[in-house]
Amino acid sequence: MVRTATKNELLPGTLDMLILHTLTRGAMHGYGIAQKIQEISDEVLQVEEGSLYPALQRLLVKGWVKAEWGTSENNRRARYYTVTSAGKKQLGTEAENFRRMVHAIARVMQTA
Amino acid sequence: MAKLGEFWRRSVFSFRRSKMDRELAEEIRLHVELKTRQNVEAGMSQEEARFTAQRQLGNLTRMEEESRLSWGFPFLESLLQDIRYGLRGLRKSPGFTAVAAITLALGIGATTAIFSVVNTVLIRPLPYKDSNRLVRIATISAMFPEFQLGESKPDYDDIKSSTHSFEATAIFRERAANLTAPGEPEQIAVANISAEFLPLMGVSPTLGRGFQPDDEQRKNGDVALLSHRLWQARFAADPSVVGQTVTVEQKPYTVIGVMPSDFEFLRESADLWTPLVLTAEESKRGNWFFGVVAKLRPNLRIQEARTELDSLAVRLTREHPKENAGIRFKLTPLQEEVAGDVKSGLMLLLGAVGFLLLIACANVSNLILSRGVQRQSEIAIRAALGASRMRILRQLLIESLLLSCIGGAAGMLLAVYGVQAYRAFAPSNVPRLNELHADLTIAWIALALSSVAGILCGLAPALHTSRPDLNLALKERLSSGTARSSRRFSLRGTLVVVEVALALVLLDGSALMVQSMVRMLQVDAGFRTDHLLTAELNLPASHYPTPESRQIFVRRLLDALHAHAQLKDAALSDSPALDASLTAMMFDAGTLGEGDKTTTLEMRTVAPGFFETLRIGLVSGRAFTETDVKGAPKVAIINEALARRYFSGQNPLGKPLRFGNEASGQSQIIGVVTDTRDVHLREAPRPQVYFCLLQSAGASVHLFIRTSNDPLLMTTEMRKVIWSLDKDQPVSHIQSLTEVISKSVAEPRFRTWLLGVFAAAGLTLTLVGIYGVVSYMAGQRTREIGIRVALGAQRGNVLRLVLNQGVRLAMAGAITGMLGSIALTRLLKSHLFSIKPTDPATLAGAAILMLLIALMACYFPARRATRVDPLVALRHE
Repeated sequence: MVRTATKNELLPGTLDMLILHTLTRGAMHGYGIAQKIQEISDEVLQVEEGSLYPALQRLLVKGWVKAEWGTSENNRRARYYTVTSAGKKQLGTEAENFRRMVHAIARVMQTA
Repeated sequence: MAKLGEFWRRSVFSFRRSKMDRELAEEIRLHVELKTRQNVEAGMSQEEARFTAQRQLGNLTRMEEESRLSWGFPFLESLLQDIRYGLRGLRKSPGFTAVAAITLALGIGATTAIFSVVNTVLIRPLPYKDSNRLVRIATISAMFPEFQLGESKPDYDDIKSSTHSFEATAIFRERAANLTAPGEPEQIAVANISAEFLPLMGVSPTLGRGFQPDDEQRKNGDVALLSHRLWQARFAADPSVVGQTVTVEQKPYTVIGVMPSDFEFLRESADLWTPLVLTAEESKRGNWFFGVVAKLRPNLRIQEARTELDSLAVRLTREHPKENAGIRFKLTPLQEEVAGDVKSGLMLLLGAVGFLLLIACANVSNLILSRGVQRQSEIAIRAALGASRMRILRQLLIESLLLSCIGGAAGMLLAVYGVQAYRAFAPSNVPRLNELHADLTIAWIALALSSVAGILCGLAPALHTSRPDLNLALKERLSSGTARSSRRFSLRGTLVVVEVALALVLLDGSALMVQSMVRMLQVDAGFRTDHLLTAELNLPASHYPTPESRQIFVRRLLDALHAHAQLKDAALSDSPALDASLTAMMFDAGTLGEGDKTTTLEMRTVAPGFFETLRIGLVSGRAFTETDVKGAPKVAIINEALARRYFSGQNPLGKPLRFGNEASGQSQIIGVVTDTRDVHLREAPRPQVYFCLLQSAGASVHLFIRTSNDPLLMTTEMRKVIWSLDKDQPVSHIQSLTEVISKSVAEPRFRTWLLGVFAAAGLTLTLVGIYGVVSYMAGQRTREIGIRVALGAQRGNVLRLVLNQGVRLAMAGAITGMLGSIALTRLLKSHLFSIKPTDPATLAGAAILMLLIALMACYFPARRATRVDPLVALRHE
């Protein structure tokens, strides 16, 4: 059984930022987060479930997200994550760093 | 703040681990379900959809593990794992664990016990207000620089009025008195204190009030504060005791309050506190009878106060040359004063147990090292599987810490008993014993020492063992005696050398102390100390108000004793013997041929017959007789030390001797007697003057009765004789002089005994240590020895081979130890009597004993090595 080739993998260190950003739209469960990221990125960014859940636990411990059990659209018990104010602050910093990094990389790439 | 929150969440999560696990599993189940549905919608069959969903999720176990890492404390958890692993290892080798733990328990226990004593007696602040600013002020005269005299009232007033270093000062004195009502007559300790005393110490009575300046002028009559003990014993803790009276020395005192039960000041706690009311005579300059306690101003360095007192002493010497010639004020922090001589003794013991602990650590270090060799392959496997050196080091250190904590726990029990034993057996002059308890401090000290010991004994072996040569260790699991081990030999060797050196220093130190003790007890006191019954009478002023009445009593007592067949060899004196107290008086040095100066001399007033009863030799002139009474010419007898110092080459007989600065104080020297050590056996004789008790009798009369058998058998007879003269006269301090001597050396004897125990323990540990190492080394050379024997080596050769190795180490240790002894026994100097700290015979003796013990420890492994069968040894590989 050959594993299907992964699509574009995430840049290292960006998963937390993507999760936090996605959660700014409102509470979501883990599956929803993965779907949303995939959808918004036009299927370019594929979130590996294997790293999504550990990342969520990490964010919980850091206090950047909160989790609450609720009922999903198909009436199942699901854990919904929301971003906390500390998480929003963290998102701001990470997004700023990311923008600066992308900008720098782009400039390097532009010069011949 | 964020860190704290994270810590909190980690703790909560790791606490709710199983719930977290369940929740994550549920979350993932949902995820798979949703994914499956999506796949079905995309056109897959139900089964294929579920399978794909699960495959996309990847390794479930790994994901759960990764999630878990963020819930708890991964570092702590791996630490716990190491601890569990270490404990399992220790359980698997119970012999090793037991020997190592017992060794450490011994070292940690002894050190913890002594350290708790040091902490209580020396370090913990005194239980008074601002106790770190409290100081004692004493007078030092040129003649007795090693004795502290009290202050005179006028000097105290000068200190109080003309210095700026002190926030407050107080003056007091302690004396014995007879309490007669309510209840039975009893001799009690009374403290006369000035009104400032209690506020300065920060103490107030639990009942009633303290003293006011008025009380010193007796405006409220005679008032007194009861100690808690007296209040309970005499008034059954009656809360309405204030206003009732106690009768002391036939004088009624109105009780104005009760002191707290835990208040103790200096060595002996007073039973009754009264204001300090002085007579004109007592208030004279030069009467250094009073204790002074003062409180330094905040933030003032003690040195500044000392400087100020020094210049005051110079001024007072100038203004009062007769009374204050050559005086100095000595300022001592109260804490130091309370600790007294005990301090250096305790530090000595602390040093000794420290050595014991180091020896124990060296032993355990060697044990761990041997075990490390057996575990070489295990460690090599761990390293090969990717464990970093730090990780292995940590594992090994955790094991040695576990070991030391087991030892420390046992040591703590040992220390609890040790502290209780110390309290029970310590001589009574060790201060603050009432504050010494087996409390939580012991646990903290034991824990701290365990950690230090664990690292101390584990670090060197861990560094060695954690650096295995993977290739060699894995390939030649059981090969022994290879060249590679030479480095390890040298570490073992070093440990043995250190151990021997430490044990030798301990041995030398305790041998010096023992010899000093023996010499002190054997020193010639200058009089016969055996078969002497001693007792003390305190003649109450109410019965004996004048010197004449006291002289009459002394005369009658002497006659009555002389008339008794068994008590006739009796002597009377104004002061006790050999209890380390000294009576000193100022003499006009002019009459002693030293110009217009005064000097302080040791003084004793004795009744006729004193020299005969104590067997003190008369060198020239005559002793006191029944005719040397008041009214007859005043006479004095001097000792040879005084004659040598002031009358060298002249005949002192007939010369005048002026006492104090009054013409009436002049006496004529009528005799010279041999020198005695009557203050303490360790105090060399000083110039001393004797006066006749029939010419000047004070309130205090001490009896010395020479008996033919056990002195204490004569107690009843002696009491009968005294009570036939005065039936109300209490007789106190009845004891044989041998008992007095025994008490006077109780403290050094106790210390010597403890030091001996520590030295013996150190020697035993060293013996075991050498034995272990030499056995190990011989074992490692089994193959070599086998070859040697096969090639024709004799038993003697093999014996020498093994012995050599051990003895070389012991020699190196002994030499190091001798150098160490020479450097360290200097600290013993103040504790030694008539033996030098570097006494060559003691040092050589200790070194020889040490080497003999080392030889003994090497002999058994060496003999075992001679029995090596070459065939077995060579096939062994």
